[in-house]
Amino acid sequence: MRVRVPTLLLSLVIIELCSALAAAQPPFAPKVSGPLSQRVVAYQIDAKYDPAQHTVDATETLTYHNLTGHPLDRFPFHLYLNAFQPKSTWMHEAHRDGNFRSSAFESWDPKEYGSNEVTSFEVVGMGDLTRQMKFISPDDGNADDKTVLEVQLPRPVPPGQDATFKIKFRAKFPEVVARTGYKRTFLLAGQWFPKVGVWWNGAWNCHQFHAMTEFFADFGTYDVKITLPKDYVIGATGVTTGDHDNSNGTKTVAFHAEDVHDFAWTADPNFKVIENQFDGSVGTVKVRLLSYRSHKNFWQRYLDALKGSMQRFDQWYGPYPYAQITVVDPPHGAEEAGGMEYPTFITAGTDWYTPRGDHDPELVTVHEFGHQYWYGMVATNEFENGWLDEGINSYAEVKVVDSMYGRNASSLNLLGAQEGDASVLRGYYLPVAETDSLARPSYADMSTHSYGGVTYGKTATMLVSLEALVDEQTLQNALHTYFLKYRFTHPTQEDFLQTVNEVAGRDLNWYWNQAVYGTQVFDYAVLRADSTPTLWYEDDATEKAGETTYETQVILQRKGDFVFPVEVEIKFDNGESTRERWDGKERWVRYVYYKAAKVQSVELDPEHRITMDRNYLNNSYTTNRQTGAIHKIAIYWMLLTQFLAHALSWLV
Amino acid sequence: MWRRRSILWWLFAVNIALGAAGTLPAIRQLDRSLGHSVAGQQLYKGFDVGMFHELVRVPDVGLLRFRITSYAFAALFALFMLVVSGGILESYRQDRKLDSGEFFAASGAFFWRFVQLTVFSLVPFGLIWATYFDVEKASDYLGDKAMADQVGSGLWLFGVILLVLITLFVRLWFDIAKVCTVAQDTHLMLRSAWQGFDFTRRQIRVLLWVYVRISLVAWTAMLVAFLIWTKLPATAIWATLALLELIVLVQLGARLCQLASVTTWYKRHQPLLARDSAATQPQEVTEPAPQLTLYSEADPLPPDD
Repeated sequence: MRVRVPTLLLSLVIIELCSALAAAQPPFAPKVSGPLSQRVVAYQIDAKYDPAQHTVDATETLTYHNLTGHPLDRFPFHLYLNAFQPKSTWMHEAHRDGNFRSSAFESWDPKEYGSNEVTSFEVVGMGDLTRQMKFISPDDGNADDKTVLEVQLPRPVPPGQDATFKIKFRAKFPEVVARTGYKRTFLLAGQWFPKVGVWWNGAWNCHQFHAMTEFFADFGTYDVKITLPKDYVIGATGVTTGDHDNSNGTKTVAFHAEDVHDFAWTADPNFKVIENQFDGSVGTVKVRLLSYRSHKNFWQRYLDALKGSMQRFDQWYGPYPYAQITVVDPPHGAEEAGGMEYPTFITAGTDWYTPRGDHDPELVTVHEFGHQYWYGMVATNEFENGWLDEGINSYAEVKVVDSMYGRNASSLNLLGAQEGDASVLRGYYLPVAETDSLARPSYADMSTHSYGGVTYGKTATMLVSLEALVDEQTLQNALHTYFLKYRFTHPTQEDFLQTVNEVAGRDLNWYWNQAVYGTQVFDYAVLRADSTPTLWYEDDATEKAGETTYETQVILQRKGDFVFPVEVEIKFDNGESTRERWDGKERWVRYVYYKAAKVQSVELDPEHRITMDRNYLNNSYTTNRQTGAIHKIAIYWMLLTQFLAHALSWLV
Repeated sequence: MWRRRSILWWLFAVNIALGAAGTLPAIRQLDRSLGHSVAGQQLYKGFDVGMFHELVRVPDVGLLRFRITSYAFAALFALFMLVVSGGILESYRQDRKLDSGEFFAASGAFFWRFVQLTVFSLVPFGLIWATYFDVEKASDYLGDKAMADQVGSGLWLFGVILLVLITLFVRLWFDIAKVCTVAQDTHLMLRSAWQGFDFTRRQIRVLLWVYVRISLVAWTAMLVAFLIWTKLPATAIWATLALLELIVLVQLGARLCQLASVTTWYKRHQPLLARDSAATQPQEVTEPAPQLTLYSEADPLPPDD
């Protein structure tokens, strides 16, 4: 059949349009429409990835809406990849502290070199300002640190007006280190483009990249096109809006995201794509898992953990409003890229041999999804208040996994050995209990070790302990209120603390002064518990069970300097028990009882809710000897000694 | 080995005694920390890793510092085994129960010679130990290049299995050297070491298979015991103790089996070199020597020297 050319052309256009529409997904869940935030920035990035060189050459158009109320003639930009150079502040701190995540940084490896090189910087209407670029070091004056670039404009951008920046840059990725980089054919592109700082509290907030901090940026929209080899599978923040093949063996994939403050992506020809969905309160969310065949046993584990988290977060705190969540399972050797969060895009991670009873893969998935809320939507300043996202999220992680796997086995449940997630986080905190307060700016913490222990461990531990005072449901309500009130904004630590005070209906500042602003350590002990006959002085005093009256004294001591009301349960040998509540303000307290019964046991915090206590071993006393645990540990210890003896004798 | 099982019981008793002695300081500390505390319930009714970590972490307890005592008593047992090896081998060689005097006389007679052999054996064992790090490096390097996770682990496992076989070879070599020393009552340790190597090399398939088979049986028994252990309730302390001691007994028995096997093999295949003479024949035979089940009758005789 002969078809007339105009009709043929029209048909082709219609087909093309339909394909584009089919490929373009809305950025939000079905019942959500934007804008959800004050969109300060609009990024358009056109990037070309060269896997052989591990580089991305890109052109970035950034439209900055000056909503500050101030004229702005100076703009700082983060160039995070420049941290991976020997003289940077980040590298200096990582080497000084001897570790970052799984890397030791004892010596410099050229493969760890990374960079953001800006080759051209233009402001529309103000010309080429490439020569006006200069590096600044607002935190430590390190002239060799190039993670913050500042540009002085010839004239200010008035309040309410836009500034459009056209930036050409090349990103060179290190072999995967500190969340970003390549490994074999895999790439995780995080913090890869010049990102403008945040105008916050009347000034630019654009810190250098430190080993002890993460990131901070404004909400906006992202339209990113990435050209890469055709056989690569790609995943990114947001949703796919286009995917077409080029004639030179590459393809260009377009992504769009709204009301987010970062954009990350990943690519590998060996990815397997597993698609699923979650039905939440605002509609269906698409789930996209990028993993590998060798991790096939973990696909369902990841999905179960993710959807379990999504369901609980939706129910407890609020809805996840985006159309999609992408989960990346990095390949072996790329563990440094795992356990990280970006808006609508998270990285998890596992070892192929991790058994089911080791909940590490689940924990990291739950944690990173949680960051969609604490950091992704409640976008706190990670440079200054790391605890507001990492710590609150660690607490939420405890709640989620305890709900899924049981409080005492949420981290580990293997061959009879168990451990709860709250206990693990307590274990991070206690070794650094006397170092930094939560309120101290994260980049100024003593070390990466202290940062991790305090930011993650102390926050989670102090919030779990707070449940002993305000109860779990109240704290959940407080987080729910905090989320709904501050999502898509940049709240401060005072905003969070005030919200909890309001929802709890009481002034908890005495608690925050110690737990957040101070470094007081919590340690309560049962110092003494004994019963003596009241008529001890009589010559013919004989004790008769149930008849003789005893004076029982129980002394509790506050060994640490953290003051907190504690409950104590005292049991007697006639079956009676009593509970007392001590405010802990004095150093010790004595309770005295007169009964025809002797004390049998005394236990502080009988429900074991105060995980901040640095020493559980002195929290109780029993008059009868407890031998079960002693015998049990003894036999295993003895076996190990015997086995070692046999092994050594085999060698001789 | 089973005919001389009194040796096994004695070794087991010494092993238990030294194991218990090595454990005592830790038990005393545990008693101070948990003896009147309910904290131990989480370790008794299950095994809370966090609570165990408390015992390690709290400075007043610091449980792991007592492992030094365990190391010391383990080393003492190794020394004990070195001392009594001569008596054990002489007992197997003569295939009769030696009285205490004969046993310790034989132990004393060969002690320093066995010390020399042990020192010689440190060289190949040390080389194997050093090679392990190369295996680890190589498997890490090759695994890093491979797409699949399991490649690196598979290479490591393959390397470790090879090293285990080589370790068994070295153990066998020096066990035969000891047997030669006892059989010939020689003071020429280098010669014994060389003889041991030579015999092992020439009969490697047969002898190594004996050692491998015994080890496999012992480790299989351990695996079965482990599976039983996983089914025991957390509070079944005494059942656990019995099971764990059975594991130790089987391991010790396997080691003695290895020594008995090489002694018997040597006697069978080196009659001209055995020191067995009419003067040292046992006075009475209480039971006929049972058929050895460890070798095939078709085992070839070694070629003449």
